[in-house]
Amino acid sequence: MLNRQPGDRTLPTLITLLVVGILLMTFDIRSEGAGVTSTLRTGAQTIVAPLQKGAAFVVNPIADVLESMTNVASLREQNLALQAELAERDAQLVAMQDDLALIEFYEQLYDLEATGSELGRTPAQVIGQPDAFDGALIIDKGSSDGVVAGQPVIDTSGYVVGSVEQVTPFSATIVPITVGPSGVAVAVGNQVGWVLPQVNTDEMRLELTDADEPVKAGDRVVTSSGSVRFPAGYPVGVIVTDASPSNDTLSTTVSPYVKTDTLRVVVVLAWPPDPISAITPDTTTTTSTTSTTVPGDDTSSTTSTTIDGNG
Amino acid sequence: MRLRTLLPVLLILVVAIVLQTTLFSQTNVFTPDLVMLVVILLCLTRIRPEMLLAFGFIAGLAVDLLGSAVLGLRAIVFTIVAYLAVRTRERADIGRIITAIWVGLLTFAGVVLLVLVGTLFGQTVLLGEGVVERLVLVPIANMILAFLFAPIFVRVIDRDSTALRYA
Repeated sequence: MLNRQPGDRTLPTLITLLVVGILLMTFDIRSEGAGVTSTLRTGAQTIVAPLQKGAAFVVNPIADVLESMTNVASLREQNLALQAELAERDAQLVAMQDDLALIEFYEQLYDLEATGSELGRTPAQVIGQPDAFDGALIIDKGSSDGVVAGQPVIDTSGYVVGSVEQVTPFSATIVPITVGPSGVAVAVGNQVGWVLPQVNTDEMRLELTDADEPVKAGDRVVTSSGSVRFPAGYPVGVIVTDASPSNDTLSTTVSPYVKTDTLRVVVVLAWPPDPISAITPDTTTTTSTTSTTVPGDDTSSTTSTTIDGNG
Repeated sequence: MRLRTLLPVLLILVVAIVLQTTLFSQTNVFTPDLVMLVVILLCLTRIRPEMLLAFGFIAGLAVDLLGSAVLGLRAIVFTIVAYLAVRTRERADIGRIITAIWVGLLTFAGVVLLVLVGTLFGQTVLLGEGVVERLVLVPIANMILAFLFAPIFVRVIDRDSTALRYA
């Protein structure tokens, strides 16, 4: 039983504060996090960010020790698995280097110029999370380092993490794709669709529209050129279970490459280079035409390559 | 409320926010909600009940401002938790274990409310991996911290070495 006494003003105070809280929530949702609420957030984060940076410098090693103490057994298994994966990657790297040499040869042969790989990158350290329930990450780089709200964030391996939501001069808040309010436009092979977050799991739901081929467990899911939030071709995760299309649609689960609870360093991409294009859906198709004249032959062949931007 | 009471409370609140957003946000097993714990433990002190609700609101708002969920969500939740704590605190200060259980139950009510209201307002950022486990782990962590630090916390805030001696 709750204990109340005469002359107690606790209940009116509670009601007043609840009304103020609900008004704040309504205002924040209606303004979509912009305006006054954005200014308030920026101000609060600007004040607390230096303290968080200082604290992170001291407590990150402690947190790592605590975390590793509780995960010694799984870390050993993970270490063995990673060693095996490293050997496999080394082999792939050798094959990749051959491919790169071949590509370089063709680029020189056809006088091609590489574009799109010069995105500005801002490495940042993860200094914390708001609390145990909020999946957002706080990083130590902000607008003074060129970070802008809406920019995509990847990890050091190039896997998609999320996007920047809030920026202060010296810190920023990142919302990972696994808990974000909206999905990410992705491609699996030549099929396109969306990955969407799910409740109480880091696995995401993949929805392919106009699907005509089945997908298999282990297939890579990458960002598609249909995305206005991420550049095309960045790896998102792998498909967990096989699935076949039904009525032109396909649904299955995707395990993201990035585990946000163990992230310490991320990279903010300066994308799109022109911020106006971020609000314009990418519906264009790039077509490159190469004319080749074969020596000793008076015919010239024209090769037309259409890049559909599916990564 | 005197300045010599207000200052330590604000200082503890800031320390709790900084520790929660750095140290305890990066461990998966021991995940207390330090700010909620401070709000609950403040209710064991001699601070006026109306002020306690205001502290709950401000503390929640501060965490809201640093997070990505909708502004006012935690402010509402922490205010309700403070109200429940004020109404039930006389049953809590009879023993160290009882105090810890009381803190655990209030924290549980708080985190359930946070997830429920968050779900109603479409805050997917609060519903990520392990949300169900955290509904249990956060109250347990707060219970342990309350068992260890509740008496000293109350004595520091009230500046009374005899407070919460559990006769």
